[in-house]
Amino acid sequence: MMRGAWQVFTKELLDALRDRRTLAMVLLSAVALGPLLLVALSLLVAEFEARAEARDLYAVGLDAAPTLRNFIERQAWTVHTAPPDHADALVKRRFEHPVLVVPPGFEADLAAGIAPALLLVSSSANQRAEGSAGSVSALLQAFSQEQASLRLVLRGVPPAALQAVVVQRRDLADPRARAAQFTKLLPFFVLMAVLYGALHAALDTTAGERERGSLEPLLMTPLPRSALVLGKWGAVAVMGMGVAVLACFGFLPGQWLLRSEVLSAMFQFGWREAVLFLALLLPVAALLAALLMAVAIRSRSFKEAQASSTVVVLAVSLMPMVTALQTGGEQPWQLWVPALAQVTLMQRVLEGEALGAIDLLLPLVVAALGTALCLASVVRQLRMAAWK
Amino acid sequence: MISVQALAKQFVQGRGRQRRVVAAVQEVSFDAADGCITGLLGPNGAGKTTTLRMIAGLVRPDAGQITVAGIDVARQPQAVQARLGVLSDARGLYPRLTARENITYYGRLHGLSPARADARATLLAGMLDMAALMDRRTEGFSQGERMKTALARALVHDPSHIILDEPTNGLDVLATRSLRAALRRLRDEGGKCIVFSSHIMQEVERLCDQVVVVAGGRSVAEGTVPALLARTGQQDFEACFVQLAFGATTAGGAAAPAAAAGPAA
Repeated sequence: MMRGAWQVFTKELLDALRDRRTLAMVLLSAVALGPLLLVALSLLVAEFEARAEARDLYAVGLDAAPTLRNFIERQAWTVHTAPPDHADALVKRRFEHPVLVVPPGFEADLAAGIAPALLLVSSSANQRAEGSAGSVSALLQAFSQEQASLRLVLRGVPPAALQAVVVQRRDLADPRARAAQFTKLLPFFVLMAVLYGALHAALDTTAGERERGSLEPLLMTPLPRSALVLGKWGAVAVMGMGVAVLACFGFLPGQWLLRSEVLSAMFQFGWREAVLFLALLLPVAALLAALLMAVAIRSRSFKEAQASSTVVVLAVSLMPMVTALQTGGEQPWQLWVPALAQVTLMQRVLEGEALGAIDLLLPLVVAALGTALCLASVVRQLRMAAWK
Repeated sequence: MISVQALAKQFVQGRGRQRRVVAAVQEVSFDAADGCITGLLGPNGAGKTTTLRMIAGLVRPDAGQITVAGIDVARQPQAVQARLGVLSDARGLYPRLTARENITYYGRLHGLSPARADARATLLAGMLDMAALMDRRTEGFSQGERMKTALARALVHDPSHIILDEPTNGLDVLATRSLRAALRRLRDEGGKCIVFSSHIMQEVERLCDQVVVVAGGRSVAEGTVPALLARTGQQDFEACFVQLAFGATTAGGAAAPAAAAGPAA
């Protein structure tokens, strides 16, 4: 039986590898995926960094407020004149900076001790503008603080009298956990690459075989059905696993392309991470191969199989949404759900957390059981003399 | 020797209200001897293909018994499949493999060593006049080229019993002739037991030592071509067939419409 399964395996693998066009598409997406994602992420983070460092203030009427202007320039901010149509531009997201509007009587009011009202125009639907609004607001707060302190000092009151409580912040996230916010998407994309790597081969060896009319001659050989299914599954799983290997090791050179210094310091994907990723991905590749075959063998044509396998693709792509939507952190049951378990654990790897033996074993056992069930279902389907 | 006794098979089509039971084969019995070409002759939908599929162990019969070389298909389907070479109506090839790879793959599945499978493929290529095709991928093969490859694939393990389901469908004159020559050689030189189904009179008349007429899921007559002619008192084999398959009334000029209607169509 194993010899027969080996024959089927080598033939299916050869067949799949000769399908150059499909192979090229799968390889291109899998190999290019890691570096491309990293470059896109690093561009994003680099932009955030640049924006955080940039001290640009867009204002209207600031010339009439020399005290404020002096303070702002002392803080090493650059003052620009806001465009007249800034309100409209902010709403339409053409303009990405909050705008400070200074009233005409600002300087006189300030001197007279009447608190003049400053207007900070932004739009909470405009994320980039909203991002800078915080620092502009803090800048204005500091100006207010300085003025108040000066007044108190003039009256002989220590400024500390106004500060009853001192608030300090301590950020507990370590750099890798912070980077995980940006790299959260990576496990999901790797999982999808594995799925797509196995998809075409799974459909071709089942529904495709039936559509071509080559399944029936195959069933008329003395080869046991289980050997036939085992061989085919082996080839499909190897395709999925090959993509997993390429995608994981694709991240290693991908790191050299990182544009953001902060991200490259935070995103540490070395051999250890690659091996852990693989340990998680290989079992799920085996399971996805078996599952896709079990779905596709019930179809009469390749097209029909494509339609039914969409359900599998959709289910796998929705799994990670659970981690995005849930509050209250990771739940124990997540490790029991294939795909979700892998995405959860891969995120943990990226955050630099340690994985216990049970974390690796549990998804492995679930995947092995699922694979066995799906393969048994394929064998059963082939035993039924349903095709007339 | 292939022996078929009182074979019956019905299929259920559709579900719920659309459910329909089709009796594909009701009672088919015949014996096909070794060293002999036996033709299953019948109109479309007569049950020929279903009968051949049951012999090949692909469909389980509802009733009846099939033995191939004395082995019961129901009890030892794999032992029977090892002795059978089947060219069914599904003759799909793997387009990305060469003809040789397609053929040797089946040889390996039948348990031949790589060298033996390759030697058999070369031998069959000579016999079926397809040596030039062997190292081309089967994508883009003509009907005749496909049929030859599929036949070589079915014969790669040198089976003692050969089943062919309408092998000449879609073939031109030359390809049909070369197929006929190949079948004769297999019979004369190899002493094979060959069963083939057809609805073409001339083919059966030219090739078969023994004819089984199947109509409406039953085997209605069995014998050599001269014996069947003598039995019906006809000169023409076509008229003889129509009389046997559809009854004496239609045996005259009305043969064509009767055949087109077909009892089990």
